[in-house]
Amino acid sequence: MGKYSIGEFEEVVLLTVAILYQNAYGISIKEEIENRLQRKVSVGAMRTALNRLEKKGFLVSEFGEATKVRGGKRKRFFKVTPYGKTCLQKVMETRKQMWDAIPSIAFDFKFA
Amino acid sequence: MVEDVEGDISELFSKRSKQNKTKAKLFFALDVLFLFRPGMIRNFEPINRLINYAMIGNYLKIAKRNALRYKGFTILNLLGLIIGISSSILILLWINDEVQVDKFHTNGDKIYQLFRNMKQTGGLVVTTSSIPKPAADLMEAEYPEVENVALLSWEMEYLIGIDKNESKEDGRVATQEFLDMFSFNFLAGDKNTALTEITSIAISQRLAEKHFGSEWKEKALGTSLRIDGQYDLTISGVFENPGPNSSLRFDWLATAEAFISQNDWIDDWGNGSFGVFFTLGSEDDLKVVADRVLDEIKVHAAGQNNAGDEQLVIHKFQDYYLYSKWDNGVINGGRIDYVRIMSIVAIFILIVACINFMNLATARSGRRSKEIGLRKVMGAYKNAISAQFYVEAFLLTTIAVVLSVGVVLLVLPYYNILVDKSLFINFTQFETWAFLVGTILTVGFLSGSYPALLLPTFDIIQSLKGSVKQSSGAAFFRKSLVVFQFAISTLLIIGMSVVYKQINYILTKDIGLDKENLVAVRMEGDLGQRLETYKNELLNIPEVIGVTGSVGNPINYGRSTSSANWEGKSPEAGYEVNVLLTDEDFIETMGMEVVLGRDFSEQFTDSTNFLINEVAAELMGFDDPLEKDLSFWGIDGKIVGVVKNFHMRDMYEPIAPLIITCIAPNRSEVALVRIKGDANTAMRAIEKVTTTLNPATEFDYQFVDQAFAENYDAERTIGVQAGIFAVISFVISCLGLFGLSAFTAERRSREIGVRKVHGASVAQILILLSKDYSKLMLLAFVLAVPFGYYFTQQWLNDFEFRTSLDPMIFITAGVLTFLVGVLTVSAKSYQAATVNPTSSLKDE
Repeated sequence: MGKYSIGEFEEVVLLTVAILYQNAYGISIKEEIENRLQRKVSVGAMRTALNRLEKKGFLVSEFGEATKVRGGKRKRFFKVTPYGKTCLQKVMETRKQMWDAIPSIAFDFKFA
Repeated sequence: MVEDVEGDISELFSKRSKQNKTKAKLFFALDVLFLFRPGMIRNFEPINRLINYAMIGNYLKIAKRNALRYKGFTILNLLGLIIGISSSILILLWINDEVQVDKFHTNGDKIYQLFRNMKQTGGLVVTTSSIPKPAADLMEAEYPEVENVALLSWEMEYLIGIDKNESKEDGRVATQEFLDMFSFNFLAGDKNTALTEITSIAISQRLAEKHFGSEWKEKALGTSLRIDGQYDLTISGVFENPGPNSSLRFDWLATAEAFISQNDWIDDWGNGSFGVFFTLGSEDDLKVVADRVLDEIKVHAAGQNNAGDEQLVIHKFQDYYLYSKWDNGVINGGRIDYVRIMSIVAIFILIVACINFMNLATARSGRRSKEIGLRKVMGAYKNAISAQFYVEAFLLTTIAVVLSVGVVLLVLPYYNILVDKSLFINFTQFETWAFLVGTILTVGFLSGSYPALLLPTFDIIQSLKGSVKQSSGAAFFRKSLVVFQFAISTLLIIGMSVVYKQINYILTKDIGLDKENLVAVRMEGDLGQRLETYKNELLNIPEVIGVTGSVGNPINYGRSTSSANWEGKSPEAGYEVNVLLTDEDFIETMGMEVVLGRDFSEQFTDSTNFLINEVAAELMGFDDPLEKDLSFWGIDGKIVGVVKNFHMRDMYEPIAPLIITCIAPNRSEVALVRIKGDANTAMRAIEKVTTTLNPATEFDYQFVDQAFAENYDAERTIGVQAGIFAVISFVISCLGLFGLSAFTAERRSREIGVRKVHGASVAQILILLSKDYSKLMLLAFVLAVPFGYYFTQQWLNDFEFRTSLDPMIFITAGVLTFLVGVLTVSAKSYQAATVNPTSSLKDE
């Protein structure tokens, strides 16, 4: 994947941020992943992934308005950067290329 | 970053707590806990991702400029490091050599040696390596775990040579298994069969060269050698001289079988003879063998009249050189004690040298503060400044190590004379380089760390103004280091003084006989039979006052029997009593004192009358020992006198009970000659008499007092070494102190100026400047005394006869360090105090 180095969980998080578009912050991302993929996500793991994605330049973040629900703490909203988008596309393309490259017979398990 | 995470988890909490409050709390806690992960707490990637390798060049340049600008400090620093490092290298070479002894045998870790613990009735256990030979036979025949058993005799001295070209050489008799077991290298002949023939003898390269010149390889094998003037043996091999790395030394090896067949007494469970070595197939069997062999002597010698309460114990051969001190039948240290002491000394000296470096570097940091400030302003990170000081430390250390190697090479010949070894630095060995690089890293790191961690923490503005106030913690740390340095130096000086005092005590102690002007001359061949003639001839020499024949040198004597019997001795008690065979002139010639009864008067009438020493008198428990019956070796006689105790062994051991008899003066092997006047004339005359009577042999003699002193060579060497290194550590500490006081004087120069203007005298200023350091010195002394007392007392406790720990030793050591320390400080302070105040005050 060359310079677009991204892990599986990071990819999931990045995609989720894209899905949620303007409403992508900690809890919403966590719940979205949990609902969609039926897997448990801890705050810590997600936070690490978000940090790393931001450091790699796939995400940007900004603080939102303070609300009462969160004890006055602001939300940090995440947004996918164009670079992040290229990365996701690149990942998908590579996957696709690889799928195409699989000979049809390889997955023919009937007589195996 | 924190805020939104906090928000996230509190939002989660409120959502969860709608369902279950306790669960929510639990999850909340878990969430917080899981937030503690590396990436979140701190970013571990280096902040300064672009390490500026270019800066290293700059660091080196600045280091060089600084070193050259303050030459005095640089020299102090380097000198301290060089002295410290080269001393440590020397000590480590010595230690390495000690540890290597006996380690060259390829089978070394499988070889074990038997020792015999002889229990005395007083509860004392005496240990010897001479083992009854049947025990070795038994092991060989009946112990399945034992692979091989080898016999090696004690050191024997025989005349060896071809035709008339004979000389006295030390050697041993051994079995072929001895050669199989140990890795003594053969240069000619077959090692595997060298001792299989009963008439075989293997000789050392030295001996071969002596008799056959440079072509010994061709000529030696198969030639016949005459031993002891009566046996002809054929040379079956030539071995490399057993070097200083072997504790077993010999110039010839003859087959044990011939020797055994001529000495019936050897094949007896009651008599110790050979040293017994054996190899085990597996180390796991050690315990089994040890348990089984323990009481073999008791079982097999039961009922014999020379049976004692004895046990056999096993000790690993290659450890024996370092662990050889038997204390009541158990190994308790040995040379390893000295190895340990010296290791500690080496480490201490190195630490003292590092402390110097640290102290000087931090004390001088004021001068560098502007540089540090400016670097920070220009964007240097703390890490970069740390790196700079590390580079400086490593640079200096590298230079110091390189120079130290040079110093070591220069000093090594003298050091070798001192420790009586042939040490050298082996540059072809990987370990040597590893060690040198290791030293650079360790010393560089130790001495560089403190400045490298302290200096970057300076506040920028303060340091740019040039008025960095060092925290009181740093000053305290520096002071504690000085205290530590001087405490170690004082400790070493105390140790050295005690060793010297003990050796002096031994050498000047009244050992119960007059060892001055006394010569022990070996009587070779049948000279013992002609003792009367020999004595008369010697007494004709004007310088000779007295002569006596004796079977051994009384200051190093150990020939004992357990068969002694006396009136009232309980039948089951076993005592090992020494027996000294001599003639009727012994007591008088030796200058011994008869405290009770009388001396021998005439050999003829006194042949079955005995003298005993005070220890023996006490052991036998007589109220009045005179005229009591005493028998040993089947000789019955009476005690006629008690002689004052004299030392027959070294001072580590108590004086043993002794019987002196003049029953067989013709068995004498040593003539003890009391001389007066010029020793050289006397010795020439004695030599003439001896060689006239005994033309075939070399004249072999020693002065008793010298021989006595030589017994304590190991202790003396350690004493001298400890002394030298104590002085070295002291000198390094003083170098550091000198640097520190120079720094203080410089920093306070303006204060001194103002004080002088107001009328302070030079003396007052001197006291002012020295006061601080004097306090440190006192503290160091107080710290050193209890440790010094403890360690030296431990060492002295090994001696049966020892000097007392005089408080004067401690006081002298303390006063000495204090005086030298204060002098060092004053030297620089005086300079500062005498400066004209105008010169220190004018630059404002």
